[in-house]
Amino acid sequence: MRASFNRCFNRCFRQARNRALSVSALALAVALPSVASAADVGSLPPEQRAFLADEDNLARFGLTPEKLAAMIAARDDAGARALVASLMKTTDDAKYQAATTAPAPDQGPLDPVGDMAAVPLKTDAPNFNGGTVLRPEIFDEYRRDPGPFSLKRYVYEQDPIPTFAGAPVALRKADLVAGKVDVAFVGVPIDFSSGWRDAANAPSVLRSMYGASGFDIYAGVDPSLELSLADYGDLTVDRMSPEMGVDHVRKMVAEMADAGVIPFVVGGDHSVMFPTVAAMADHYGQGKVGVVQLDAHYDGARDQAHVYSDDQAVSRLIQRGIVHGKDIVQIGVRGQETSSADIEWMRNQGIQYHTMAAIEGQGWEKVLATALSQIKAGPENVFVSFDISVLDPAYAAAAGRPSPGGLTIREAIPLVRRICAETKVVGFEMLDVAPYLDLSYRTALNANYVMHACLTGIAMRKGGIKDPAYLSPLTASATGR
Amino acid sequence: MRKDLKFLAATFLTPVLLMTVLANADPRAQAKPAEAAKPSWKDKLVKGPPTAKGAIPKNIDAYTPGMMPVEPQDIPADVMAKLTAAAVAPDKIAFLKSGKARFAMSPEVMLKKLREAKSNVEVNAYVDAMMAVYQEAQFEQGRDAPTIAFDTNSPRFNDWHLRRPAGLDPKREPGPVSLSRYVRGRSGFATFAGSPVAFTPADLKAGKVDVAILGAALDMGSGWRDARHGPNAMRMAGGTGGTEVSSMIAPSEVLNIVDYGNAAIDQNSTERSVQEVRRLVREIAQTGAIPVVIGGDHSLEYPNVAAAADVYGKGNVGVIHFDSHLDTGRGRPHLLDHGQPIYRVMKEAHIRPEDYIQVGLRAHYNAEQYEWQRLIGMHYHTMAEVERRGWDAVLERVVKEATKNTKYLWISFDVDVLDPAFIPGTGTPVSGGMTMREAIPIMRRLCAEANVIGFDIVELAPQLDSTYRSAMNGNALMFSCLTGIAMRKKGLTQPNYFSPLSSEHGQDNYYGAKK
Repeated sequence: MRASFNRCFNRCFRQARNRALSVSALALAVALPSVASAADVGSLPPEQRAFLADEDNLARFGLTPEKLAAMIAARDDAGARALVASLMKTTDDAKYQAATTAPAPDQGPLDPVGDMAAVPLKTDAPNFNGGTVLRPEIFDEYRRDPGPFSLKRYVYEQDPIPTFAGAPVALRKADLVAGKVDVAFVGVPIDFSSGWRDAANAPSVLRSMYGASGFDIYAGVDPSLELSLADYGDLTVDRMSPEMGVDHVRKMVAEMADAGVIPFVVGGDHSVMFPTVAAMADHYGQGKVGVVQLDAHYDGARDQAHVYSDDQAVSRLIQRGIVHGKDIVQIGVRGQETSSADIEWMRNQGIQYHTMAAIEGQGWEKVLATALSQIKAGPENVFVSFDISVLDPAYAAAAGRPSPGGLTIREAIPLVRRICAETKVVGFEMLDVAPYLDLSYRTALNANYVMHACLTGIAMRKGGIKDPAYLSPLTASATGR
Repeated sequence: MRKDLKFLAATFLTPVLLMTVLANADPRAQAKPAEAAKPSWKDKLVKGPPTAKGAIPKNIDAYTPGMMPVEPQDIPADVMAKLTAAAVAPDKIAFLKSGKARFAMSPEVMLKKLREAKSNVEVNAYVDAMMAVYQEAQFEQGRDAPTIAFDTNSPRFNDWHLRRPAGLDPKREPGPVSLSRYVRGRSGFATFAGSPVAFTPADLKAGKVDVAILGAALDMGSGWRDARHGPNAMRMAGGTGGTEVSSMIAPSEVLNIVDYGNAAIDQNSTERSVQEVRRLVREIAQTGAIPVVIGGDHSLEYPNVAAAADVYGKGNVGVIHFDSHLDTGRGRPHLLDHGQPIYRVMKEAHIRPEDYIQVGLRAHYNAEQYEWQRLIGMHYHTMAEVERRGWDAVLERVVKEATKNTKYLWISFDVDVLDPAFIPGTGTPVSGGMTMREAIPIMRRLCAEANVIGFDIVELAPQLDSTYRSAMNGNALMFSCLTGIAMRKKGLTQPNYFSPLSSEHGQDNYYGAKK
């Protein structure tokens, strides 16, 4: 699913190199990038020459103008024409091919003539929407008053039935409203990650790991004490298609916001970002939500046959007008699926990106300050999409799409705490934790600590502490100075 | 595969509840001894004659979990009086009488709730909630999408299975390509069974290939997902070379084996992926080679077996399905997943139920599932049968059945049929499974004694095993069947053949006449 991979093979590199070469008089003759100058293509028909003139067409086949020129030079005219024709035909074959004949009578729905334009479903399945149908309150065998309820028997229970941050359970919107819940966790266990798949197991693993509750030494705040937290359980997703879960997740997360809650979504892979951000826009209004994406991946793949997947969450949100490119701040991008063309697309969309290259070039403190000021200058409502891959695999081996050279946990925690304290965060998500990739507790613990950093920030803000880079005078210095 | 628990609860428990509740709909009525048990719609089902080749089995949709005929619901007089008093609309009463409310809850609970309702408002609210739940669960045109649409305008619509133009590589003659630099040795490139690679049917024909091993990295099955990495884990693990001790046959010396690479997979759609797998398995079989498919999850059984039927004819192939799961799921919104391949194969008449043999079943399925399998004529061998009769008896029975009806046999081997002691690396493990010392001989015997025209090994999810064990055992299974195929090529097809050289030191006559 890395459709954009190699789309434009090092285009910027090539442009930069050509510019560098062209200033040298000696190199002028070889500096021109097109095949036309590198090889004799005069014998090729005009449409073939036009095809070759677009470097993107060549990059699809792992070719540069120079590599192709060498291949053409080794062939006679007919051979060269046949080669280019095969490239053009293959490019054409990539497009949707409609059926030209009717199917045979015994041909099944999974054996279509031509390309399958849509996945057929069994619409008379008795349980078509069954997993997403909510149990009406009136069906409860035993009535209870609305409000979050604890699963702990004891006041100080050591290892209770696992819930996020040890929070009480809420099952319905009425529970969130009655409990005046500030933050509600919700699991979205889908794992179609384009990397390793196991994010479906993240919600239960993070629930059973500590780290999301307790006193925060930096801010001197215990978010569990200051905030009303709840664990809203998991949402039903379709395990055979990201598409069929999108509307349900969107509706349920929007409903949480309607209840006055800051949703903390635990994925699931990064395809979850589409319905969560859309839900925020549904509640706060399109264009009224800024997105901070902390991720090793830019997730802006385009031109795909599938409508939803993890690697195109950002591009689909922008295409649908749900969020403006300029209202997205990205930090940590370094995935090798990103090409020059993709970064150019991001720049054209106005996305404020801070790749690991920027961090290497400018230093973390500078990037942190710039990013925070950009977030503050954007829409008032801020949604944080935290993909665990933004952390270095040393801290988070269990990432569906790990990538070396990432943030340290000592960069991530202050970053997240500051975003959540200094801006109005209306939602947070922790995505693509794939537990089976880490034989240790480490990733789960770090993921919970990152969520705790945001809870701390929200608690600070609720208590009136919004100062930049605030640290508690009590905890940060023995003398109070 | 493991069924998603929520799905299982909704789809399978509903009918169970339904059946138990049907038998005693009104607890007070049960107290009257004179009243006979209500006839069930299942009583009317008669096992038909064996399915004809290429025909859709008569009872294939006789009962589908959640799709059985809805029995009308008796509304006792006291409840009816309450409904009337609450002025419940006639269409709503008709809904209650139709029995559809069972989707929301059991009639027993429903009647109890209606009896206990404290006000007319509550009675109405209750009925409305049941109707709403039922309607929400069903597909509704306009509200629900009947398909999952693709963006057909995508210029890269077919990127996922676009074949590489030949002109990009240097010219070569057709035939398997060795990846070895040396006379002996592999030069570091991991291939199935250390084989040379082939890419096209022309390569297979030129190389007179007997067996072509294809990877299919599909893993959208439920449970833990990592079967996508099964093919490469088996390529990298050892255990596929040399001579097999029971037969003293070295399959790689007797057979021309190639690694046919991997089938293209769309990692976001099983429905698209299986089309390409079917094409590739078919193109291998059409050359006369035996396709071996290394998965990937058990959805692959569908394209594999369908391709075998494409080549050998519908109804001409039998299938042995090793699995801890039935995989006859049906009635789900998706036409195919790793729990439904057998239904899909039979529904499209590729294989007759009578020619389906399942071995090693033990996951938690209810009686209805087995009743249906028996009704349509399938042969199942659970671990209960193994416990009751002993493995040797079951082994003999399976081998007999494998050669009874059909000239051709496909073996679909889900590694979760083995105990997790042997294969922890699988997405939906189930305790209490077969041992390797049961699996190795049955694979060797089937592949020697029956005309195996293809097999698959599926559901190997290497990430779940931090050791080498699962991948090595996967290779051992493949090696056993390759041994059997080589034995067959050598004419060693007699039942339970052993090499007299390796199974006996021969320095005395210890076993006497007991050869």
